[in-house]
Formats: sequence, C-alpha cells, structure tokens
Amino acid sequence: MRVANMVPDMQYAVQQSQQALSVALQQVSTGLRVNQPSDDPAASASMVISLASSANVDQYTNNVSAIQSQMQTADAAINSVVTSLNTAVTLASAGSTGTSSAANDQALAAQAQGVLSSVISQANTSFQGVYLFGGSATDTPPFVAASTTYTSQKGSAAVPLSTTSPLTPGSVTIVNDASTGKAFSFTATAGDTIATLASAISGAVAAGTLSLGTTATINAKGELAVSSNSGTHGIVVSSNDAVLGSMSAGFGTEVSNAYAYVGNSTVNSVQVGDSTTVATNVPGDQLFTSGANVIGSLNGLITALQTGNSATVAGAASAVSTALSYVSQQRVPLDNTISQLSDQDSFLGQETVTLTTRQTALVGVNLATAATSLSQAELDNTAVLAAASKVLPETLLNYLAPG
Amino acid sequence: MSSISSALSSATQSLLADTAALQITTNNIANANTPGYSREVPIFQEAAPTVDGNLSVGNGVVFEGYQSVRDELVSNQIQQETQAQSSANAQLSSLQQIQPTFTTSTEDIGTQMSALFTSLSSLSTNPASSAERQGVLTAGSNLVAAFNTASSALTTQQSALNLPVTQDVSQINQLTQQIAALNPKLAELAAAGQDGGSLQDQQTQLVLQLSALTNVSATQTASGETLSTGNGTPLVVGSQSYALQTATGSDGMQHVLDHNGADITASLTSAGLGGTIQMRDKTIPGLLGQLDTLANQFGNAFNAAQAEGFDQNGAPGANFFTVPAAVAGSAGVIAMAITDPAKIAASSDGSAGSNGNLANLSAVQTNPLSAGNTPADAYASLVYQVGSLTSNATAESTATTASLLQLNDQLSSVSGVSIDQEATNLITFQTAYQAAARVISTMQAMFSVTMTMGTAAAE
Repeated sequence: MRVANMVPDMQYAVQQSQQALSVALQQVSTGLRVNQPSDDPAASASMVISLASSANVDQYTNNVSAIQSQMQTADAAINSVVTSLNTAVTLASAGSTGTSSAANDQALAAQAQGVLSSVISQANTSFQGVYLFGGSATDTPPFVAASTTYTSQKGSAAVPLSTTSPLTPGSVTIVNDASTGKAFSFTATAGDTIATLASAISGAVAAGTLSLGTTATINAKGELAVSSNSGTHGIVVSSNDAVLGSMSAGFGTEVSNAYAYVGNSTVNSVQVGDSTTVATNVPGDQLFTSGANVIGSLNGLITALQTGNSATVAGAASAVSTALSYVSQQRVPLDNTISQLSDQDSFLGQETVTLTTRQTALVGVNLATAATSLSQAELDNTAVLAAASKVLPETLLNYLAPG
Repeated sequence: MSSISSALSSATQSLLADTAALQITTNNIANANTPGYSREVPIFQEAAPTVDGNLSVGNGVVFEGYQSVRDELVSNQIQQETQAQSSANAQLSSLQQIQPTFTTSTEDIGTQMSALFTSLSSLSTNPASSAERQGVLTAGSNLVAAFNTASSALTTQQSALNLPVTQDVSQINQLTQQIAALNPKLAELAAAGQDGGSLQDQQTQLVLQLSALTNVSATQTASGETLSTGNGTPLVVGSQSYALQTATGSDGMQHVLDHNGADITASLTSAGLGGTIQMRDKTIPGLLGQLDTLANQFGNAFNAAQAEGFDQNGAPGANFFTVPAAVAGSAGVIAMAITDPAKIAASSDGSAGSNGNLANLSAVQTNPLSAGNTPADAYASLVYQVGSLTSNATAESTATTASLLQLNDQLSSVSGVSIDQEATNLITFQTAYQAAARVISTMQAMFSVTMTMGTAAAE
C-alpha cells in the first residue's frame, strides 16, 4: 500500500494511547472502574439497587441502636416492678400470719403503698420524653391517679350546661375506669348533645366497660359531672370538646391507691431488617392492668393490710404472687426481642460487609490490575510518542543534497 | 529523413513536457496538506513518428495535460461513514450532558429516594419526634428537587438542540449553493474532455462536509452532481440548489421543511442533523416519559399510603406530594404538598405516638408501582438506559472514527500527495529537463559545426 501521509495515523495513535492512559489514571486515582453510567450501564443500574440496600441496612443498624436503648430502659423498669412485687409478697407474708398487730399491719400497709407508688413510677417510665408503657399515647404518663368525679371547665350557675347542650361534632370524650381497667371513648357526631353522651355512658356501664354507677349529669354548679360509684377505684376523664372545656378531678374526690390507665393498647413495630420487624413496646394495660392486675393486686393488698384481716391479706398476697409471675412472663418476649436485636446488629454488620464487597465487585477496580494497566498505558504512550518523534520528521528531502 | 532541426524540435518538446511535469509536481507539493486535494499526474504521450519509406523515426514527447488520481468508491464510503460518525457524535455530545444527572451522587434521584425511606425508618423509632418528622419532610423536598432537576436537565437539553438544527440547516443551504455553483463549470470541463481537477476536488470536499450534516444521496448526471436527502428531497439539481427551511412546530421545536414547505423532520435520521433530531424528538422524550411516569406513580403511591394513616394531630393523612393528574411533565412539577412536619401520617390509630402507618409508607419502596417495577428498579432502568445510550454512542463514534481513518488511509494511498514520491518526481523531471537541454546544447554545437563548414574557422 502506498503511504502518502502518516500524520493522521500518528495523531490517532497518540490520542488513543493518551485516552487509555487517562482512563487507567482515573481508575487508579478513584479506585473505581465505573465512574459514570456509560462505563458499565448494567453495573450502574445494579449499584442503584445496591446503594438503596446499603442505605436501608445502615438505617436498620441505627434503628437497632435506638430501640435497644429504649427497650433496655423498659426492661430495667419491669425488673424494678418485679423487685417491688417481691417486696410486696414479703410484706403480704408478714401481714398474713394472723399474729401481726394492728399497728404493724398499718405500717405494712404504708410500706405496701410505697411499693405501689414505686410500681406506678416505673409504669410511667419515659425514655427521651417518650412514655414507654402508654402504647402509642407516648406524650403523657399512662397511669393517672383516679378520682370519683370529674367536672367540666365550662358551665356555671349563671350559664349552666344542660343535657340539651349540643356537643362539637368530631370531639372525643374518654372515660378510663380504674376498676374495670377499660376505657370508654365517645366521639360526638352532628346533633349529639350532653344527653347523648350520658346515654352512651349508661350503655358502657351496661356493657361492663365502666363500673356500675358511673354517670354523667349536670351538677348544681351547672357543670357536666362524670362520677363513679366505685369508692376504691375511680375514673379518669378527658375531653377535647370546646363545649365542655377540659375535664378535671373534683377537689377531694381522689381515690387513694387507685390509678386509671389512660394509654392505649397499640404496639409499635420497627423494621430492623428487610423482612424483620420487632415490637418495640408493651402497652401498660397489658402489663399492669389486664391479666393478673398488678396495680389492682397491690391496691387490694393495701386495703387488706389496712383492715388487718389475715385471711383477706392472704388472699391479696396470693393475687400479688400471681401478678408477680404474670409480669415475669410478660417480660420474656421483651428480653427475647432485646436478644434478637443484638443478633440482628451482628447480622447487619455482616450484611454491610457483603454489600460493600458486592459494590466493589460491581464498580470497583482491582488495584493491582489497575496499577499494571496504568504502567502498561504509560509504556504504550511513551512508545507511541517515541515512534511519532522518530517517524514524522523523516522525508526523502532530509537526505537529498541541498542545491 | 531526420534532421538536426527535427532533433532540436524533439528536445524542445521534451523541455516543455518536463517543465509542465515540474509545474504539476510543484502544485502537488504545495497542496500536500490541502483537505480534499487529489494528487495530479502529468500525461505524457509519445509524439507520432516521422515515417520515411521503411524508416520510422520518433518525434519525442507530447504533454497531453494532467489527470487527478481519484477513487470514487472509497470517496463514497467516506461520505457514508462521515454521516454515521456525525450522527453518533451529535448524540454523544448531548448524552454526555444528560449523563451526570443520572450518575450516582449525593443529589441524584436514587440517593434521594433512598434517603426518604431511611428517614421514614428513622421516624418509626420515635414517631412523635419533631426532628425525625422534619427529617422526612426535608428528604421529601430533596427528592422533589432531584426529580425537578432531572426533568429540567432533560428539557433544557431538548430545547438547546433547536439551535444546532437551525445552524445545520443554514450550513446545508450554503453548501448546496456552492455545490450547485460548481456543477456548470464541471459540466463544461467534462464536455471538453478535461479533468475536473481542483474544481472536482472542491466539490467532493463540499459534498463530504454536507454528508457530515445530513444524509445525502448523490448521483452523477450530465449536468453534474445531483444531490438529495435520504427521503428524496432534492438539494441540488444541476446549477439549481433547493434550500431547506426551519419553522417552529406546534410542539415548540424547530422543524425542517423542504423547498415546498413540506415537513421532512422525521425523515432526517442520520448525519449530524439526523442525530440531533433523533436525540431531541425520540431519545430525550423517551427518557422524560419514563421519568414523568416514575415521578407520577411514586407520588401517587406515596400519597395513597399517606391517606391510610393519621397525622400527628389525629387527622386523616393528607397528600404528601402535589402530583399533577396528567403523567406528562410530572417530574418537572411534582412538589411538596405539606410543609408542617405534623402532617406526616405516621399513625395508624390517630395517636401521636403510633408508627403503624409508616410501614405502609415504607412499603412504597418495595411494592411495584402500577408500571410493574419498584421505584428503585424503575430508576435503575432509567440509569441503565442513559448509560447504555451513551456507551453505544461512544462505541459508534469510536468505531466510525477508526473506520474513517482507515478509509482516509485507503483514499490517501491513491489520491494523497507523498512528499517522498514528489521529491523523486522532481529529480526525475529535473534530470529529464537537463538531458533535453543537453541535447539542445549538442544540437547547437552541431549546428555551429555545420554553419562553419568550408570557412577559415573550419580550416
């Protein structure tokens, strides 16, 4: 073949070798084989999915860390409750012998009151502003001292509320009963009046949600009064109806040693793996008021000790023991979850390593290979430049004698 | 019978022929680097001999002219390959500007989408936390910004391609005018049996430049080169050129019209103009369509999950994103519908501390959208397409560049000027000239002897 001009070929060869050198240099300096989608479209697409997985795994790890602390706090609180209940069992044993004096029984009752206060305090434990045993009602203490009567803020002798006073549609009034351990919730609809609310409360009494004798009436001051007939348990009432205003316990109506649960039964779950979620809370009603009623049993023990009847105290002691074993049982799933979180944390650590390895395989470069490629590219470039410098100036004219 | 004078005449012819050959060699050397120049070779022919009886005596050489050395087949292949290269380059240039939008960074859609879901997961550990809720809101805003930015990058690039369309059409019109102007001159030369020479080179070079802009079909007729676009729209017929025009279409884009005003935009599929139109009217709208579908379906799926729960105030979840009813343009206008962190519907029971509905919101990440893919898969598919289109355009550009280099080498081996060869020719013709001059000098001496015969000087 007749070669007329070698410049274009030389230029192309120099460009190609410089481009190869640039790519090799970029791979060594970034450690990446794929710096943009066109470098490897399939690997780039896989990276989108893989990076999302990595972000999820990182977040799962953070979730584990966050709820581990929260659950350990809850577990410590339940542990304290168990300790308190053990103390209560000891007090009950001392009071049920039949030989204890009245003064001694009163002292034991006072100690049992202290135990109840401690249990209530543990049941109202919060972690970073979140009440742990209120279900999803986490912004207020879940156990509130109960009273026999709650009255509305609105209504006066001059401007009394009446049974025909209309309620605000959508407003919610809740009555928590310490005796039944249940909550009655009334959501007003258009046309509802205080009489509708009173009727609904009567219905709840009939249904067993509220204790017998719980009523809603307009008192002499013109206020709405929700009252419980239970002198040993009481109720807690709340409302967001502007017609009623806030509900508050009437002065002197507090029932000693009685607490109503104002939380709910919601169990929150948090995802700690692609297909793993864990329950992060045990609602207070499940733990302390339903099943073997912890608060009720302590309340019963105090009352029994105050009366000094050894048989009653023995019965209350038995109830406290049952409550103790119930709480211990309820603690097991919580402890299992804490243990599961620890295992999950290790798994997520491994998962991170797996994903990182996969990502390196997808877009990373083997440094030894990259360094060799760079060295080869440098050599090629040097050779091409040397060849160009040698070949390009050579023409026949260089060899012809001048003149 | 040959004579001294006839020998002198032969030598003179030889001097003239060698001078012309030297002139051609000089021209070749001068145009060694002129684009499109085809080397010229002198045409020598032996002069008719003088016949005297049985004796035939040569009469030297006759310079018949020169011939440009061409290879039409390779030239056509170069035109075809130039069209392919220009198309690939036009698309590559545009794709290289789009690609960074879809490259993994701290701000791309994939990263922001992932960040929204991790912020939801984080909120699940403390659903009443204002800081966590604000985090979700910020992640949502960032995702909206990523969608808006990607859409804007594509539409901006699409609009920007209108300029090369009008510029290319303008350049095509200039080139076709010049080509048409050369046709009558070349036809005259052809009619006279003469080589087109540098005029032919110029026209070939102009057609090559035209090939870089649009798909050209060329046929040689008696009136010169006839050119048309791939779909038959005439560009040059004889001395007449037919100008293309541009006009803004109903889609707001610049359309190409033939000399009769008919829209030929869709038929322009190769070369630079074709590549630009392909990007503007097919590739970018395709990518935009997928981006809009993703934004629209993702936004609606998220809003639907939000509606299943309750916000921090216990109210039913309102829309998180503002998504237009029409899919087209969704990525560009998707926006945040809420600015209050309390409006995030994390709760499933209306209480502020419930996180029950976050599972529904998080499920948007793993559930298929109505198009059948999960959001991450849909975005990954988009990344793959952008990468694949860019990679293919790069490969096409590289391949056509290498192919063109080879074809140019092939053409150069036939038509190119070799300085070495011309230097040799220079020596050859110079030597021939010197020899002819020596013949004249010898003839002169012989004449001189003849003229002085019988004179004192001869004695």
